[in-house]
Amino acid sequence: MKSKTTKKLKRHLKTKVYLFLALFSMQVNAQSITDKRIALGKGSYDVSQVMESISKDTGLLFLYAERPSGKLLLENDEMKIDKVLKQMQAQLGINAQIKGNQIAISKTNKVRELVEGIVRTRQGETLPGASVRVKGSTTGTVTDMDGKFRLNVSPGDVLQVSFIGFQTAEYVVNNATLDIILMENTSSLDEVVVTGQGMSIQKRRLSTNVVSVSGKELEKFPANRFDQLLQAKIPNAQIRLTGGQAGATSIIRARGVVSAFVNSTPVIYVDGVRMDNLNTASTIGGGGAQSAGISSLADIPMDNIERIEYVNGGAATTLFGSDAANGVIQIFTKKSGDGRLSLNFGTEIGLETPTTDFLRFKRVEDLLFQNGLYQRYNLGINGSNSEGFGYSFTMGYLNSDGVQIFDQNKNDRLDMRSGFSAKLGEKVVYESSFSFINNRFKRNRNGNQGGYTGLWYTESGASATTGPQPRFNPDIDNLPEEEYQRMREYVRKAERLQDNEIVVNRFQTSQSFTYKPLESITMKAVGGIDYRTLRNQVITTNEYLTHTTGNLTTNQGSISNGDRKFWGLTLEANAQHRMNIGEFSFVSTFGGQLFRNEDRQVSYVGTNIRDGARNIADAALKTSNEVYYEVVNYGVYFQENLGFKDKMFLELGLRGDGNSAFGQDIGVQYYPKVGFSYIPTFEPFFEDMNWLSSLKLRGNYGVAGNFPTPFMNLRTISFPGYLGEQAAVFGTPGADLRPEKTSTLEVGMDFGLFKDRLAISVGYYNATTNDALFRVPSSPSSGESDAFRNVGEINNKGIEVSMNLIALQKLNQSLSFNLSVNTNKNIVVNSGGSAPFNINGFSERTVQTVVQEGFPVGFIRGSKAIFNDEGLVTEVIPLQNLGTTIPDLYGSMGLNYEFKSFNFFANADYQRGAFANNWDSQFRYFYGAGNEGIPQAEIDQNGRAGWLNMTNMFIEKTDFIKVRVIGANYVIRANQSFFKTMTIGFNVQNPLNFATSSFDPEATISGSAAGQGGATTGGISYATYAAPRQYIGSVKFNF
Amino acid sequence: MKKLITYISFIILASFGLYSCDLFDVTNPYVTEDRFINSPQAAAIWMNGLKRQSSLTVGTVVEFTELVSDNYFNNYTQSSKVFDFPEINYFDIDVRRVQTSIHLLLETARFGLEKVLPNDPEATAIQEAECIFIMGYAHLLAAELFVAMPESPNGQVLTPTEHLDRAIQYFTQAQGKYTAANDQLICDLALARANHSKGDRQAARNAAARVTATNPSLLKQVFYGTQSGPSNNFQNAIFSGTINQFAPLPRLDFLDPKYFNLTSVIVDDQKPISILKAEEAFLILAEAALSEGNIAEAKSNLSRLITEVIAIRPVTQLDDSRETRNGGNRNDYPLSAVAVRFDSSSPWISGLVLDRQAGKINAYSVSGTHVTVSDIEEASSVDELLYLTYLIRQEVFFAEGRRMTDLGIRFPISELEFNNNSNVNESHLVTQLPTFIPLDLEMDDFSVDPNSGIVTIRHDMNKVLIANKQSNLVIPFF
Repeated sequence: MKSKTTKKLKRHLKTKVYLFLALFSMQVNAQSITDKRIALGKGSYDVSQVMESISKDTGLLFLYAERPSGKLLLENDEMKIDKVLKQMQAQLGINAQIKGNQIAISKTNKVRELVEGIVRTRQGETLPGASVRVKGSTTGTVTDMDGKFRLNVSPGDVLQVSFIGFQTAEYVVNNATLDIILMENTSSLDEVVVTGQGMSIQKRRLSTNVVSVSGKELEKFPANRFDQLLQAKIPNAQIRLTGGQAGATSIIRARGVVSAFVNSTPVIYVDGVRMDNLNTASTIGGGGAQSAGISSLADIPMDNIERIEYVNGGAATTLFGSDAANGVIQIFTKKSGDGRLSLNFGTEIGLETPTTDFLRFKRVEDLLFQNGLYQRYNLGINGSNSEGFGYSFTMGYLNSDGVQIFDQNKNDRLDMRSGFSAKLGEKVVYESSFSFINNRFKRNRNGNQGGYTGLWYTESGASATTGPQPRFNPDIDNLPEEEYQRMREYVRKAERLQDNEIVVNRFQTSQSFTYKPLESITMKAVGGIDYRTLRNQVITTNEYLTHTTGNLTTNQGSISNGDRKFWGLTLEANAQHRMNIGEFSFVSTFGGQLFRNEDRQVSYVGTNIRDGARNIADAALKTSNEVYYEVVNYGVYFQENLGFKDKMFLELGLRGDGNSAFGQDIGVQYYPKVGFSYIPTFEPFFEDMNWLSSLKLRGNYGVAGNFPTPFMNLRTISFPGYLGEQAAVFGTPGADLRPEKTSTLEVGMDFGLFKDRLAISVGYYNATTNDALFRVPSSPSSGESDAFRNVGEINNKGIEVSMNLIALQKLNQSLSFNLSVNTNKNIVVNSGGSAPFNINGFSERTVQTVVQEGFPVGFIRGSKAIFNDEGLVTEVIPLQNLGTTIPDLYGSMGLNYEFKSFNFFANADYQRGAFANNWDSQFRYFYGAGNEGIPQAEIDQNGRAGWLNMTNMFIEKTDFIKVRVIGANYVIRANQSFFKTMTIGFNVQNPLNFATSSFDPEATISGSAAGQGGATTGGISYATYAAPRQYIGSVKFNF
Repeated sequence: MKKLITYISFIILASFGLYSCDLFDVTNPYVTEDRFINSPQAAAIWMNGLKRQSSLTVGTVVEFTELVSDNYFNNYTQSSKVFDFPEINYFDIDVRRVQTSIHLLLETARFGLEKVLPNDPEATAIQEAECIFIMGYAHLLAAELFVAMPESPNGQVLTPTEHLDRAIQYFTQAQGKYTAANDQLICDLALARANHSKGDRQAARNAAARVTATNPSLLKQVFYGTQSGPSNNFQNAIFSGTINQFAPLPRLDFLDPKYFNLTSVIVDDQKPISILKAEEAFLILAEAALSEGNIAEAKSNLSRLITEVIAIRPVTQLDDSRETRNGGNRNDYPLSAVAVRFDSSSPWISGLVLDRQAGKINAYSVSGTHVTVSDIEEASSVDELLYLTYLIRQEVFFAEGRRMTDLGIRFPISELEFNNNSNVNESHLVTQLPTFIPLDLEMDDFSVDPNSGIVTIRHDMNKVLIANKQSNLVIPFF
């Protein structure tokens, strides 16, 4: 005891002596010394090492009673000595003062105190996992599952609180408890993204634009299907549903149309696993090409999504190689909760009403439509523990009656998704996700399906020529009541007797292991599958045939089944190495990816079957057919991202691909990319420009491809049979096909003004698709069928602008607007001498959307009639360009207002510059349901027989602004109650349409005349249902 | 560093491991051309394919040319909407369909002859003859139906006469290779038809005479049926389909339907379409005789045609009560047994429009005509007999795709050929439509007396033909 006291006394005396000496030797001229810089670079050093370095560089001597110890973090290279000394105080509590040629060292007497706090969003939601750190030190912690933290600090310390997606906040510690509110971040430079990069990387390092949409943002909006969920949320892409029926094809496109071969739908990945993204009719069992197809995007589960990333082509998709010229959407599912068990339950109930804005005849609403009930429920459970195990499970059920009479478009969907994450030891993280969906819906006959369709009969005026005798005056609104009732009875029976059902079962899983052997190296292996089965059953009874044709039919009832089974496997392994050398930083990524798709389609049809039968067992005649596509694509990629001073970056990447669909002599295909990004606002000369909060300049060049259809490179023989015997005929003509490659040059800048209150991204792109696969129509004399060949060249260029304005941002309320403006100019530069071919529409004689050199992809081609002053046709010029179907201007807009827990939002999208043919109107003219703008003189003189010669009179502009959703949510927080939060919401979907066309500019027959997965641009409005309007109230609980 | 090397080695090893397994293989479900040609029985299977294509080509030709002619009217929205006018444009997909179907037949036969048969040791001379015959038949169709047509893939464009020369050359060649007398006689019939089209009276007469002398019931047909096809689309349009699509000119009502099913499994009961039949030989001989002013010989040929040929062709009792002509474009087709006159100056004739609800009707699946021997006997002038000859031609070849040629109408070469084949020039894109052909649906037009229901056909096209017999476009021997 004694000796301890003596030691203490001695030490105290020593300190006093040193302090005295230090004070005594305080001299002027300290300023010049403190301006000196030390030779050490950025990094962590033992404090003694730092002291030695200072002594060496300045000749100053350190005086201390007790030799300091501990690690000191130098945040920059060659820091000023003054700053280093301050850091010593801040980080280690060491007080250092320069006196003459000495530096006196003493421990500060600051008292460290325990503070407690909670971190929340403006809306009051707690933020678990937020980083809380004493500014200028390494002292810090993260918030727990309730957003709370505890930390030892000294009075006057400044706490830095940060969380991804929020602005970093600084708080001076002056209380023992702190209530910290973080504001949303509008600058995304530090956001981490994955898609197109192999592994995660900060956005600031990228030369390309990666859009990410958070799961929270998605949850706010109601939607019936995944692609609809993204409508108006991705600033530089257009998402249009070509029909209002469940499962209808959507046209998703960004940067125009890069291919005349393959549908513009992006490739979709869920947790790194490639999905079936078929978005047209399939070869067997999936709708008709000339009606609305059946989209596989309609049954991707919408719940449990952490975030979605989207890249729209060019260099951003280069690492996906032969599969990504149309861009990539990647969904990341939730695999963990925020701590202890959390339970969510949500219900949405509402009314669906038909969108009647575009109906020509008012009575059609009564003839074909109904109001329907919409309901959706979901249940979510998630949580995590301190050992790194996390789980998130959701289950949802959707039921909608649809808006077509007799529930002919009802939709039932059950989906489940689970995600797990687990730390396996210190270095390995395992993540998995599973999803299952069962979707069952009815579809009405629509588009050009042949025979009766409700809209053709009513809206197109076909009641004048078909149906019960005597026929009707097709001007339905002017039918006498008695006549109308007779028609109504006929239509209702024809609608009721239809029986067309689709059942989808889909299972997806992704399994991944992330291994971090060293701090600088991350390795990841992902494997997973998408298994999707679809059954389309169409029951056509004799009663239906008799009713709709007016001819007694007893032996032609049929049941037609089409099954499609898609099995896709994805395997990917990659590694990333991060390294800093001086001012330079290197992120190197290397990986390999393989995916294989098997697509087997079978039809089994029973004809001459009794009404009432629901399978083909009892059919007098049974037939079947089969189609099989299989493809494997394998590639390796490498990407180097080189940074200088964290503000200049250079990207280089290359992918090499092999693919079974390439011709035998094609070999490995390479996709290079190069890009730069520069953030000048990190330069000292920008420091004074306070109004400019961030600026990033970027530019890149990159190539991505689309691989050809499997087996199209083979010259084959087909065996269609002849009177029951084998018979051989010409099959596909074969050609050595390579992928079409889209090379994109892109420059742009992203900048934030006034503390990022106004964030603007501006870009210009110029994309040329070389070796474009064109369905080269063979000359009749060749006796060959049409074949795809790499002969085309397509160019798209345009400007992409997106902006976000926070007009108001206070603790209690905020108001923000977003707007995107995109332009596109599309042209087929070269068709390699091949003849024009159609991608949608009917025949050359009627109307088609066509690919032809010198014109945009999918322009409308038909006959043009020239009228004289008297209104008579004087000349008919066939095969004329009647307008493009690709808009030259499009984008989206939205607003979001928050007041405490109340949130109001709306969004809309628009397009301008595209046209479409109003085929319904052309039919109405033909059937005498209206003059449809054709001069009476022409009708008087020539009758209506020339209806196909004047297609130019039935072309309309399809400019529109459509408000997709208007809604509001209110959150009630009640921690003491049995629930944590309750969110009440009300939304209206598709509330307002403003269009220059008399028809719904989106509801067009979906096309893809080349068959499964083929290109389409819509462009023909014919007997297609518009998407319904929905009024949905929702209540969500979080327990 | 050591660790890094270990990891990279692991990845490389894993990659090799993956590469060696099935992950990279795909299963090709198709038979490649090379594999087929070198496989057993390739010739026999290809010949079946050739027959199939013959059936399909004839089906396509019949569907579209019958609409162009006065025989049938498209009363529904499917199939051509403008051929009835007739309005025939080089860019019309149906023009392309017809052209393609003929070339496909030609090239299928050529491929069989040049590639498949030489590789198959089991190939026979008869198969060779059949390929050659079909090539001849394809050239014959090209000549009869088109203003001009390439002779080979993207090849030289030949005139109808040049095509007829090719046809005659192939028919002669095939005749030499066939061994069965009937097959050889079919070649004679084909030669008679080709020479008739060409206007070579003597050659046509010689060939036709061999037929009438040897086998007055000679018949060559293409066949349809079974689920895997080929199916007779025309049968579907006139009888089997659920919709009454095509309607005959009322004066030809009694000949409809030529193709029908009697059993409920329609695909298994598809009637064949005749492509060469002895009737033609008699008609050619009659026309030849008339062109020389030999009325007696013409009468003899036409009478023999009726008594020895048409009379023995099959007649089926058919329930056609489902036929209500309610396709929709015209709703005034006569449905009861009413009289009809061929134009406003012709006499009323009964028995040509049938009441299909009154019981079974007679259906003529090969040939039928309402012209009787006494009609022939009563005729006294060349023109009267020529009129009867062409009336019988129309009735006998009804629904066989021959009438459009008799009316002097020819399709242009299609736009797609023009775009791909530098040998095609703009003059080939012009339809051959004689000036005497009435437009605006008038050929199919008729009026119905609102009181009695009796029907007057707007134009008697056989009268029009005879009036224009000197035109180079019709009646080759005049």
